Amino acid sequence: MSLSYIVESIISGILLGGIYALLSVGFGLTWGTMKVLNISHAVFAVLGAFVAYWFFVKAGVDPILSLPLMVVLLFLVGGVVYRLVIRPVTKAKDIIMASMVATFGVAIVVENLMSFFWRPDPRILKPSYTGSSIFIGEMAISKGPLIGFAMAILAIALLYWFLHHTYTGKGVQATWQNPMGAALAGVNPEHVSLITFGLSIASAGTAGVAMALIYAFYPSVQTVWTMFVFLVTIVGGVGSVIGTALAGLLIGFIIGVSAAFLPFVWVNVLLFAFLLVILLFKPEGLFGS
Amino acid sequence: MQEMMQERGPNRPWGKYIYLPIIMIILFAFPLVNPPLFFLTLFFSVFMYVGLTESWNLLGGYTGYVSLGHIAFFSMGAYTTAVFMNRFGISPFATAILGGVFAALLAALVGYPVLRLKGAYFTISSLLLAVVMQLIFMNWEFVGSSTGLWYKLLPVSIEANRIIFYEVMLVVALVITLLVRWVEKSKFGAGLIAIREDEDVAKMMGINTPLLKMRAFILGAFFAGVVGGVYGYYMSYVHPEVTFNINTSLLILLMSFFGGCRTWTGPLLGAVVLSLANQLIVTFIGAEISRILYGLLLVIVIIFMPNGVIQYIKGAFVSEKG
Repeated sequence: MSLSYIVESIISGILLGGIYALLSVGFGLTWGTMKVLNISHAVFAVLGAFVAYWFFVKAGVDPILSLPLMVVLLFLVGGVVYRLVIRPVTKAKDIIMASMVATFGVAIVVENLMSFFWRPDPRILKPSYTGSSIFIGEMAISKGPLIGFAMAILAIALLYWFLHHTYTGKGVQATWQNPMGAALAGVNPEHVSLITFGLSIASAGTAGVAMALIYAFYPSVQTVWTMFVFLVTIVGGVGSVIGTALAGLLIGFIIGVSAAFLPFVWVNVLLFAFLLVILLFKPEGLFGS
Repeated sequence: MQEMMQERGPNRPWGKYIYLPIIMIILFAFPLVNPPLFFLTLFFSVFMYVGLTESWNLLGGYTGYVSLGHIAFFSMGAYTTAVFMNRFGISPFATAILGGVFAALLAALVGYPVLRLKGAYFTISSLLLAVVMQLIFMNWEFVGSSTGLWYKLLPVSIEANRIIFYEVMLVVALVITLLVRWVEKSKFGAGLIAIREDEDVAKMMGINTPLLKMRAFILGAFFAGVVGGVYGYYMSYVHPEVTFNINTSLLILLMSFFGGCRTWTGPLLGAVVLSLANQLIVTFIGAEISRILYGLLLVIVIIFMPNGVIQYIKGAFVSEKG
């Protein structure tokens, strides 16, 4: 086993980790601000991948070009889900449990609607550039993950900028830290929740497009993606964009190292065992406060 | 709470329960009328879900520790009987109890650390347990890895086969339901309900909450293992993707929440109504549609009747009278 093989494996792991980070950022955001544990988060990533796929297959629009449209579309879907399911659920006594069970239902509904209308077959998003690689010495890094990673980092940076440098974003942050205080200062919590949830779903959709540039996707893959969302969010600690991003990269690194030495399936067993250990001994996360 | 007190009160007439033995006798005698196989299959799955939902409810309903890992114990039972049959040639009817024992052992092994977690953290780790178990079984040669294991069929006609499984699952479901009912009325059950109301207070009142949770978890796992042992033999194979099906966890959760997870009657009603509906929809319309309806129903139940349909209807009656 050559060194360059190991380095190559680590690099592709980290690229993947960046995408997992984007996949999880929105989930941590709704959990942190709204106390809504959205199990249907990853199913909307698959929906985003499908939107990009249909734009590409039916109209020949490159996934990168259709991205803004997809984001708007998913934001609207998020708004509808918020109005129909999330807002009623946030009136419950135990919001986290109620939202978790209700969104479990949402996940099953959306997954099976997708299988029903678009069939459960695996699909790959294959624009011309995903097939090729760039070479550094002996290492080959394919462009699909590279572009997906760039999309993910850009989206996370945008989210971070939104939360820290815009008025609405600061409102979201304020509600996050002290809901009562924020409401007293004139932040409309309803408005903040709607925007948070919409953004969360839109970021999931973007991550789904990035994932689809690397792996085949199909409606039921959402269960696996959900596992990675849990993994990254819990390692990173709930409710910190930077923590989630770091956790994604760390997990990517672990995937890269272990994939160089282990068969693929055991990598997942190792990761989930790692998550169980973190849950048991440090449930507030490695990067949590 | 008020309804619960009423039910526990001394002036509850025993005559109310007279219909239960009659229903049981009818159910046991049902195969005598030579019904079409479809009904035997249909009722088999109803009994199976009654057993699973009641056993899930021990922890999930009474204490409020919502587990998505019940399928792991069910599959543990199915795999245990499959392995004993394939490797040692012992009949699953003899080893179904052993399936329960292995499921209970698994629960005992993971229970202590996992039950320390609360709320969403417990639920997520229970889901992870199911996923990790599935991944392990999918890659473990001894249990057939990704192709699973096949059972030898019973050496009888298909009708006799269905009747035997019908009766066995009916007994299993009956025993589980009665035991869960007994637990609910016992001191043990009162402790579990105290945990749901407020775990910290319960602890302060001198209730050994970790022990009670552990007992409920292990007992529930044992029942699920027995049900799984019989189910695996009925299906005649175990397969990591079919046996460990996350949708089964959804169904169990939904049935319990639908009926109302605070009493033994809720899961019973939920399991009977929804598994009948499920089988009919799957048979006549399609599995995807049935799951869409199920998901929708779960959302509706959580939003509009968080205490289950029984309480919802009772509430509607009370407000009509009042």
